[in-house]
This record gives sequence, C-alpha cells and structure tokens, in this order.
Amino acid sequence: MPSAEVMQRPEPVAIAAPPNFPVAWESPDDERLSWTQDRMHNPDPLLPLERSFWNIVYAGFNRAAEAYEMPTRIKARPVNTYYYIALKPAVSPEEVEAQGKRADAQIDAAMARLGELWRGEWLPEIQSHLAWWDAFDLRGAAAPDLLEHLEETLKRAARLWELHFRIVLPTYMAMSQFDDLYRELFAGEGAFRSYRLLQGFDNKTLEAGRALWELSRRALASAEVRRTLEGHAAGAVLAELGKTPAGRAFQQELRLYLEVFGLRGEKWGLSYPSWIEDPTAAIKNLKDYIARSDRDPRAEQATLADARDRAIAEARERLQGYPRPVVERFEFLLKAAHQGAVLSEDHGFWIDFASTHRVRRLLLECGRRLADAHAIAQAADVLYLTLDELRGLVGEPSPGDHRSGVVERQAEVRHFRAISPPPVLGTDNGPPPDDPVGRFFGKFFGGPPPAPEAPSVLRGNAGSPGKVRGPAKVVRSLAEATKLRQGDVLVAETTAPPWTPLFATAAAIVTDTGGILSHCAVVAREYRIPAVVGTGRATAEIRDGQILEVDGDAGLVRIDPV
Amino acid sequence: MDSEVATRSIVWIGEGDCHDCVLLGGKAANLCHLAATHRVPPAFCLTAAAFDRALTRRPTIDEHASLASLSPDVYAELSEAYRGLGQRCGTDAPSVAVRSSALDEDGAVASFAGQHETYLNIVGPEAVAAAVVRCWASLCSPRALEYRRKHGLALDGARIAILVQQLIPADVSAVLFSANPVTGSRDEVVINASWGLGESIVGGTVTPDSYVVRKADLAVVSLQVAEKRRMTVMAAGGTREVDVPRFMRDQQVIGADQVGEMTRLAMALEERMGHPVDVECAYHAGQLHLLQCRPITTLIGSR
Repeated sequence: MPSAEVMQRPEPVAIAAPPNFPVAWESPDDERLSWTQDRMHNPDPLLPLERSFWNIVYAGFNRAAEAYEMPTRIKARPVNTYYYIALKPAVSPEEVEAQGKRADAQIDAAMARLGELWRGEWLPEIQSHLAWWDAFDLRGAAAPDLLEHLEETLKRAARLWELHFRIVLPTYMAMSQFDDLYRELFAGEGAFRSYRLLQGFDNKTLEAGRALWELSRRALASAEVRRTLEGHAAGAVLAELGKTPAGRAFQQELRLYLEVFGLRGEKWGLSYPSWIEDPTAAIKNLKDYIARSDRDPRAEQATLADARDRAIAEARERLQGYPRPVVERFEFLLKAAHQGAVLSEDHGFWIDFASTHRVRRLLLECGRRLADAHAIAQAADVLYLTLDELRGLVGEPSPGDHRSGVVERQAEVRHFRAISPPPVLGTDNGPPPDDPVGRFFGKFFGGPPPAPEAPSVLRGNAGSPGKVRGPAKVVRSLAEATKLRQGDVLVAETTAPPWTPLFATAAAIVTDTGGILSHCAVVAREYRIPAVVGTGRATAEIRDGQILEVDGDAGLVRIDPV
Repeated sequence: MDSEVATRSIVWIGEGDCHDCVLLGGKAANLCHLAATHRVPPAFCLTAAAFDRALTRRPTIDEHASLASLSPDVYAELSEAYRGLGQRCGTDAPSVAVRSSALDEDGAVASFAGQHETYLNIVGPEAVAAAVVRCWASLCSPRALEYRRKHGLALDGARIAILVQQLIPADVSAVLFSANPVTGSRDEVVINASWGLGESIVGGTVTPDSYVVRKADLAVVSLQVAEKRRMTVMAAGGTREVDVPRFMRDQQVIGADQVGEMTRLAMALEERMGHPVDVECAYHAGQLHLLQCRPITTLIGSR
C-alpha cells in the first residue's frame, strides 16, 4: 500500500520564483521542498527580531513533533522578509508509514486525556511562566539583570511554543478526526453537520467577546459615558473619558477589562501593539455594541449548546446496533473533540497572545533604553535588530549606533511590503497526503484556493452556514475596522481571535485564508453569522461598498454588479 | 405423539418438548437441537399449525394483509409470544429476525422463494405480524398460487413455519467450517470473520479476515487480514450495508481468544452433528452466539 501511494503521487514540479522575489537556496534539498507562506499567521514582512521569534515558534513545533514521534518536521526561513515554512520527513520513505502509526498512537493517547493534561499540567505551567514574567520589574532592572531576563525569556518562550504544539496537535486532530469519522458514518449531510456536535462550549475567545459586551452594558448605565462613546471617533474616546468623573470611572472599568483580555495584539507576532497599549480596537467594538440592545450572548450560547445535545442524541440513536468498535471510537473522538473545541481557542489566549505580549513588553523596555542611549531612534525600532545584535547591545553602557542599519532594514521591509509574496516557493510536491494529518491541514489552512470561475464570483471554503447580503468593508488592520458598520460584510485576509468581537457587528465574514477549522470559521459559527473562508483573493478583488451575497453553506461570494 | 404439541401455534426453541414438534420446519428444528447445548439467541417458532389455522378461511393471502384481521387468534398468540421473547431478552421491545422455516413434506416448497424469506431488525408486535404475513404470502399469494398452477403443482400442501428470534446486533460475525472447504482437509477449521452482521460475509460483499486453524493443537496455520470495506448494520426498520470506517478496515476483527473459542465451537458442533458443519455465529459485547448450523454440502474428498 505505501508503494502504491508513492507511485500515485504526481511528479514534482519546480517553481520559478518571480524576478522581483529572488531566492538563494541553502541546499538542493531545501529547493526540493515545498515552501509556503503562512498568510494566516504571518501575512506581513517580518522584522529581523520577529524572524528569530518565529524560529523559536517552529523549533517548538519540531520538539513537539519529536515528542509525538511524528514522521514530519518543519523547516522555516525568511525569504525577502516574508516567512516560509516547509514540511520535511524526519525518517526515510520506507519508515514513514510505521512512524506515522506510532505518531497516531501517541496523539491518540494525548487525545484520551486532553482535558486532564490541560488542567493538570499544561495550563499550570503556562501560568507559572506568565507569573514569572509579571513578577519582574522591567523598568527598575539593572542592565545585567535585564540581559539575564532576556536569555531566560527566550528559554521560556521556547518551552511555551513546544507546549503550544503539544497542545494543538491532539486538539485539532481530535476535531478533524471526529469530523472524518462522522462524515464516513453519516455521509451527505453537508460540511457543517459534524461541527454541530461540537458547538456551544465556552472558550477564552468567546469569553473576551462576552466581557466586552457586558462592559458595553455598563457604559450604557451612564448617559455621560454613552455620549462620549457615541460622539467621538474610537481613537479619541479614551482622552475624552478622562474629562469627567463618570468617564474616569469607566476608564477604570476598561482598564480592568484590558488587564484580563487586552494582552493581545491584533495579529500573531511581536510587532502589533497589545490592546492594553492602545485600546482603540476595543473601543470601536464598544461603540458598535452600545447602539444595540438585541443581543444576549449567554442565551445564544445556550441555544447552540441545546442544538449540540440534540444532534449528539440523534447520532447516538442512529449508531445503536453498529459494531462496538465504531461506537467506542465515535464516543472517544467526541469527548476529545469537545475538549479540543475549547482548547483550540484557549491555547491561543494563554500562549500565542499572552506570552507574546510579555516578550514584546520586554523587548520594548530594551528598546526604550537603547533609544535613550541613541543606539536606535525609538523604542519600537528594537524589532529591527537581530537577536544577536540585541544581546550585544543590552547591558552595554555605551551601545553602538545602529540607526542607519535600522533605516536600511526599514527600507527593505517597505520594499517587500509592496510586493505580494508568492504563495509557494521551491518545488510543488502535489497535494498533502490523504491521511488524518493531511486532512486536518486542509481543514485548518484551507488548501489552495479554487481557480476563479466568473469575475463576480469568489469561491472559498464553507466556513459558517447561512446566506446574507450586505455592503463589503475590506479591513486590513483593526485600525481600519472603525469603518465597519452594523450589517456590513467584513472582508479580511485572516481574522485572528482579537478580531472576533467584530463578528457581533458584521453580517458575514469573508477571508482570503483558512478552512472550516480555522479560527475565523469556528468562531463565526459560535456567533452564528455566515462565513466564507480561504477565497485567496477576496481582499484583492472586493472593494468597499460593493454589495456581496455571502453563501456560507456553498462557500461562495457573489459580487453584485453596480 | 402428544396431540397438544401437534396443534400448538407457538413453540419455544430450546424449552420443554420442542424436539417433538414436527411443525417447526428445518431451520427451527435444527435450532432446537442446538439450543440444548449451545448459546442460541432466544426464539420461538410460529408453527405450521398456525399457518393452517390462518388459512382455513381463505385460499390466498395478500402480503400487505393485517394479521390482526386475518386471524385474530394467531395475532394474539404471536403478540404474547413476542412479549415473552422480550422477557427472555430482558428488554421490552426486542429487535428480532423473522425467518421462514420450511417443512419438507411438500418437495415443491424447496423450489419456492418462500423457503428463504428473512426480515431483520423487526421491532414490535405489529411489525413482527407484518413480517409473518409477508412470509406466508410468499407461499400463497395470488402470484405464488398462479406459479403453482402453471407448473402443475398442488395448490395446497405447501406449509411453512416462522422462526422469530432475537437479533444479535453483532460487533463481529463469522462463518465457520469444521473442515477446509477448499482442500477438503478434515483436520482444520476455517474461520471467515468480519464486522457487523453476517449478511455481508454470506452475501459475498465483503472479503473477511480468514483463519485456518489446526484442530489438533488449535494452532493458526494461516491468517489473512483483509481490507474489509463493507458491513451490515442495523438501521431503522431493518438493516443496511454501509462502508466500514477507514480506521477499522485493516484491523483484525478477532483476537487469539476468539479464534480459539470459535474453533472449539466448530469442533463441538461437528462432533454433535456427526458430520462437518457450516456454522454462522456472532460476537456481541464479548459473547459468542450461535445462529445457524448446517451440514457442509460440498466437500472435496469427503468420507
């Protein structure tokens, strides 16, 4: 059987890099791999220090992959400031199948104890690292201590990213394999049916959205605060609130909210200010929320949970009389997928965003000191240094002047920001194998977008059911999100968890990236708005104001002719 | 012979004097014999006498007729027996198999489809009654009688009994041969096992796992694990053949313990019956149930 699969795989095809995107390969082996740019997590050019950060992320993947005995590792590298990753085998071709089976067993074992591992081991460890960061006095630290703190930070970040993948592999494999089995048992019920049995659980992403909604109810309790929110642009609200006692009291409430849920930037990575640094995005959501009284997030969630329980009862009824191994596997995967549904969002809250915020905070403190010493022009420029440069500079009483180096690198980033990176480099080795891991990748990342059929029709993946019409707003950053109005269709490259409070305002979501298990799709289903994900080119093709018909079941977006 | 037995509508398999009843037909009589020493799912037989009684007032039976109006007495007895079956199974509304059990007095019966009627996963007295009527109708519907007329066969004399037996929702089913049907060897037991109900094995829609076991020491001399793509499962009102989920296709359906258990069963049945046997059995919740046992009719070099 393995040799038959190898024979069926298509011939690899070398990919020519565009002339404006030259690639220097470190080895012919590298060139033979298929390198993709992860537009979902890493759409933008990476600054030098960010590249080191993402190297840590993927080193974490590889340690987790080793722990689970997986036959695959990730190679990662920057190309023209963009970050590309490739999958490569960790064992010889003859051993891949057997190794894959060992990995299946390891991941199954983690799936069997997912909730227990999270509560008993993983979350406590994550929280201990966060507490260690929070206990350190950044401002008051002497230079040698800051340097030591930096080194220790890198070690802890490395450990957290290993934990990240130790968590997400069984988390997502549980949901994906549950869906695989469900669709084998109950064919022809549409893409969403299996996910109904997993919906309606609370998680940190939904909790953050609900807490923001509840904050908006408290804003409504003061006519003054309400007026301030209504009468000013999101970016000006915070200052205005400071002018009155009621406003100042609300600033406190907002601060409390941000201390729990605001330690998140708008996308993955180091260069995005956390909401606690700049709460404009949160305030934009508050402005939208105070205009409405028709939502009850808890009731919405209860409705989803009821529908879930009914769907589960129905499935169990139909499985009566099936051989026991079928029923046992169904129940095993259902239970693991329930835990996965929570952890697929919670891990991001606790690791992706919370730990990144701590690392960013440390780097900005380093940057502040370096800017004071005129080694760089401003604190945020610290991200334009490489890790080795940073290590050499922190703790130096007279750090060397790196300002012109930073300027050169900024120009390089600006240059490549204006160029669309090729989605794939190296070699096209065909679609991922049709095995549980390959299928999960397809459901999460969405696979290559389908070829365009008609100019006014975009095809993507079904993300969340329903059909809706509304004016498009193409939003490239949360700063741009202020233009989104109630009933608009939010069109974005991707929607990281901090974007999701906008789902209460938008009528539907359309993205360039992602599949039915992407964060966008999963959360859109919880907010019960239609979503078409993974269109590839929505942000390039659609313009603000165009009327879109979004068909979440079909994975189709129609652009109305003017 | 006890005349009471001779006229009874309901005979419980494996209980009392079921052996003495000639109105059970081959299938049910066979089970009576086996139930004495093996675990056979609880069952009763609606005898040929019940069939006679239902037919006294009419020459034909339409397959959609209602038993309650056709013969209220037989319907009442059948319902009560179904309730009794529920008690023996430990559940109010057991799922049953309703099968024709042919009597051989009239050799022409053998050529009729009526000999092989089977309805699986029937629940409730109404549904059982409907299945019974359909079995009867296969013998004496207007179309069946027309067939007899055309072939110059007697219009009466064909009689059947109906076997109503708890249906085992098999996790694994197997067909056993107490001699090797391919080589004719009497020293080996052959086991063909697969997922779900035995219909997929018997019907040939699945390639089962196949074991050849040496009787002398119960050693497995050959084992072929097949890619099992289809299985028969219970579905609303009946059964369905469905795809086997991917994760189970290449899994061995039985382990060493079960191989041993089934080998010993085949050998015991061969000894009991005095000839090589073709056995259908099923595992459910770890327990082995005997469903059918027949002589192997075609054996190369049989003694």
